[in-house]
Parts: sequence; C-alpha cells; structure tokens
Amino acid sequence: MTELELRDLRKTYRARGRPAVDAVRGIDLALRSGELLGLLGPSGCGKSTTLRMIAGLETVTGGDILVGGASVIERPAQQRNIGVAFENYALYPPLTVAENLAFGLRARKRAHRGDVDRKVKEIAERVDLTGILDARPAGLSSGQKQRVSLARALVREPDVLLLDEPLSHLDAAQRDTTRRELKRIQRDLGHTTILVTHDQEEALSLADRIAVMKDGVIQQLGTPYEIYDSPANVFVADFVGEPAINLLPGAATDDGHARLSASVRIALPVPVAAGRQVVVGIRPEDLSLTGEDGLPARVVAHEPLLESGIATLALDGVERPLVVLTDPEVRLAHDDRVHITADPHLTHVFDAETGDSLR
Amino acid sequence: MTWRKRLSGWLADAALILYFVFALFPIAWMVILSLKPANQLFSTYFSFSPTLDGYRTVLGDSEGIPFVRFFVNSLVVSLGAVALSLLVGLPAAYASARWRFRGSENLMFTLLSFRFAPELTVIIPLFVLYQKLGLFDTYVGMVWVLQLVTLPLIVWIMRSYFADLTPELEQAALLDGYSRKQAFFKVAIPLVKPGIAAVSLLAFIFAWNNFVFPLILTSNEAQTVTVGALSFLGGDRPKYNLTAAAALVSVVPPLLLALTIQRYLVRGLSFGAVKS
Repeated sequence: MTELELRDLRKTYRARGRPAVDAVRGIDLALRSGELLGLLGPSGCGKSTTLRMIAGLETVTGGDILVGGASVIERPAQQRNIGVAFENYALYPPLTVAENLAFGLRARKRAHRGDVDRKVKEIAERVDLTGILDARPAGLSSGQKQRVSLARALVREPDVLLLDEPLSHLDAAQRDTTRRELKRIQRDLGHTTILVTHDQEEALSLADRIAVMKDGVIQQLGTPYEIYDSPANVFVADFVGEPAINLLPGAATDDGHARLSASVRIALPVPVAAGRQVVVGIRPEDLSLTGEDGLPARVVAHEPLLESGIATLALDGVERPLVVLTDPEVRLAHDDRVHITADPHLTHVFDAETGDSLR
Repeated sequence: MTWRKRLSGWLADAALILYFVFALFPIAWMVILSLKPANQLFSTYFSFSPTLDGYRTVLGDSEGIPFVRFFVNSLVVSLGAVALSLLVGLPAAYASARWRFRGSENLMFTLLSFRFAPELTVIIPLFVLYQKLGLFDTYVGMVWVLQLVTLPLIVWIMRSYFADLTPELEQAALLDGYSRKQAFFKVAIPLVKPGIAAVSLLAFIFAWNNFVFPLILTSNEAQTVTVGALSFLGGDRPKYNLTAAAALVSVVPPLLLALTIQRYLVRGLSFGAVKS
C-alpha cells in the first residue's frame, strides 16, 4: 500500500476586488501505509479544501503532496488514482449500482468486460451490495447509497482513499452500522485513508489518529486518546468531548491553585506562576458530586438522560455555569445545594491569552 | 360526493369549455376559411361547399408562389439555427454554470440583451451589412441572424439545468480517470437531455415563427413560410383562403415536433438524483 504525505500545503483563494482568503495555511501530515487519519474541524476550517487538493479537484497554492513518495501536484485528478467517497454520494442517477461501479473502471484501462464484471462482483461482496446491484440510486436508502459510493471509490483500487463526511446524511441507526462496516472494510482492504468530518464521534470511532483543524491550521495531531486526555489548546479541548468541557477563567495563586472567584479555588495539575491569567478546563465527566467536602454549588438545572444525567451548576461568584455528568441514580432539583470535587490529574490548564495548554 | 362538489365540478368544466371555445375559435375560423372556395370567401354564414382546392393550390406551387420552397426554407433555416445554437450554446451554458471567469456575467447579460432588444432596432444596419457581405437571402445568413433568437434562449435555459447538476458527479468521473471532455459528454450531457429536448423545441418554435428577419433579410431564395404566406394577400385580389391554408400547413412541423418530444417535456429536472 501507499504512504501519503502533505508538506506545508497551502491554499489561498484570490478573487478580484476581494481580500485574499487563506483557506489552508501550511499543513504537514504524514500517513503511514494503511492508516486512517481523521481530519476534524468546524465548517470553514479548510478540511474539505485540503481533501480536494489531495484529490486534484483544487489547485495548490503552495507546498507539496506526495503519494508513495512521489509528488502528485503537477498531475490532474485523472492521473492521481485517488478514490473519493463524496458527501452527497455523487452516484450517477440513470445507471444501476453495478453500472455505477463499472463506469469508473471503464475510464482508465482498456479493461475487457469479464474483468470489469469480476471486479464489480468482488467489491459488491466486500461492501455488501450483492442484493442491490440492479437497483438505481434513487431507490436506495442513504446507508446503501453511502456504501455504493464507497464501493465506487474502492473498485478501481486507489492508492489513497478520501472520505468526505461519510456519515453525515445517515440517520442514527444507519450511522452505527455504516460506521462499523466502514471500519471493517478499511481495515480489510488496508487503504491509506483520510476521513474529513466535523463530527467528533465519527473521527474518534474510526480514526487511528486525528488532526484537529481550525482556520486552515492543524491544532493538534494525535491518537483519539491523546486528543482527549491532553488537548493542546482551548480550541481542541472545547471541540472534542460531549458534553463540552467546562472552561473557567481565573488567576493562578502561589499555592498551586486557580482562583475563579473570591471564594472558589481549584487545584491545578501543574505549577503555574502566581498571578498568571489562566483558563481551567474540567470535563463534565471528570467532576463528581460529593457529600460535604469539595466546592459548594447550586443546581441550576438537571437533565436526566436515563443512563446518566447532565447537571448545570452555579459556583459562588463564578459567571460561567459548570456542567457535571451525574450518575443515573442521582436526582436533583432546582436550587439544591451540592458539593463537587475535581481530580487535579484530570484538570487542564491553559494560558488565558494564547489558549495553549500549560500542562 | 356532495351536490356542492358536483356543482363546482360542473362549473369548472363549463368554464374550461368556454375558454376552449374562445381559444380555439380563431383556429376553427382558419380551418373553415382554408376550406372555402374562392367565390364564397366573404360569405358570413356557415354553409359553403368545402373544397381542398386551397391546399392544392398552395402545395402545388401555382399562382407563381413557391410555397413548398418557403416551407423547406423554414425547415432548413430553423433546424440549422437550433443545431448551431446547441453546438455553441451547450458548452457556453456549461462553462457559465460551472465557472466564474472574467467577464462571464457581462457575457451572459449581453446574450440576454439580444432577446429584449427589439429586432427592429438592428434590422436596418443588418440589412446593409448583409448586402455588403453577400449574406442577403442566403441560408447561412438566416441561420446566423436567427442566433439572436435561439442562442440566448438555449444558453440561459441550459445554464440553469447545468447549475442544478451537482458538480460532484463530474468530479467523480474525473477521479475515475475520465477527461474533462468525457465528463462533459458522458456525465453532464446525458443528465440534461430532457432540458435539451425542451429548449430545442422552444428555440425551434421561436425560429420558425420569426417574421422580421426573413421579411427584411431575404427576398426569394431563402424566404420562409411566415413571410411567404403573406404573398397570397398580394396581387389584385387578396386570397384569404390560400393564406389560411398556407398558415395551417406551416403549423404542422412545430406541432409534430412538440408531440414527438412531449415525453421529455413533462419529465422535469427531478431525476431523483443525488440527495434524497
């Protein structure tokens, strides 16, 4: 299989009479052969532009793209052998599923008919399309369309596979099954793959490594656990995790705490110079309700979600509410007084100005 | 069904019938006129002895008016104009739907302006030009000038058809290894076929019905039915029956064309295509 490498990849959109837009500002990424990398970020962060540049559908402003060690930026899309499963599937409506799969095979080589049929059959078995080969795209469910789209990208054995928001148009049940199949198929066939998504769940569950992107820059690159356990900055901490992390501004004290208000102090995981402005990050699942010790808080709201609950608390003198994930048996009412504790090892601390992690 | 519903159904039917009578009466009048013998032309009552003499005269090229040639001219010129417009207009529509390039909007607006500028404002300079270029009264000249009618129509309508196609379909084809040209011909064009059928018919009708251009820019060789049918009114005595017959004969091609491609016309843009 093939490695994929991006070196200082840049894209600037220039239009007459409008300021230039830097969509992608110098991306460095190296994918091992067979790796699945998730490119995660909010809309407009440049992740789709990056994908389109790799595919050859967008010109490159600067930097280089290497597939298997060879630069491909001079080659048009037709000559790159990169498979893309588009977000909206892009299936050809007048053709059946089998014809859609064969359509791609007929372009490149002078493949003879038996060969095409064999490959279509093979991939159909892999991706579980055998029963719907004669159906037309209009009659398929979203999940089936997604599988056809994946099969079409795979059938001509691309060097690199690009998945653009593969699960975003599926309903919850289809999403679960399709996700599992996607993972199985990718592992079986061993394609080097980039998955572009704004959905952290999709990235966390599928990717070997995740690159979190914002404003055309990769904020952090790491395994899902690295991203979750030690976010590099406030943006990554905030973007990954559901419910979102609590981010509370405060000032470091000389005894290893952060003062959030006159009466509220939280222990910091690392020593920070006294007086430094910081943002303390604590995930809702890392906070626990305790009997009498810990920080006193008042319940603003409690959403019981059966297998767990989400409590919104107010800390004395602290402006931002604090969200806590509670155990299923916990019952809380508005204005209840509770105490909470946070494990300092699971607490994050960021510089208030730069947003970078101080851990 | 309640009596109220039934009554409103009847009223609707009655209104429709009334409208049909109103709309079809001129055509009926033409049919009657075309079947009248010359000496009963001006009778106002409906009893006359019907005859096909009018049609025979018109199609038999008697009276010194080569109607069959006019008819063939119309066919050649209209089909030629539509064909040329499709040849030029489809790529133009595709390009303007897919890419924004320098001056693309100005170009499109210029094309549109051919439609809303009255033909009479340009006809005199065109006449002079055609005389000097040797295009006066030629097929080439007529096909060319009819581009003013057919090209904007085809470009603007096809542009919206192409714009409604998601570009990912062609991009997927590119990734599969097809060239841009193949992506256009093998992916985009087949998907807009219903649009091409509809717009071709429309352009053909506009070209066929055009009156001012052939009136000024042709004299005999390339003259079309719209102007040709008028010749029966000239001379010492206007022959309304022949004009009517000629007019009815010249309705046939657009009508036939409309009936043959009707199936494409009703099928709209909904291919059940990409996103559901």
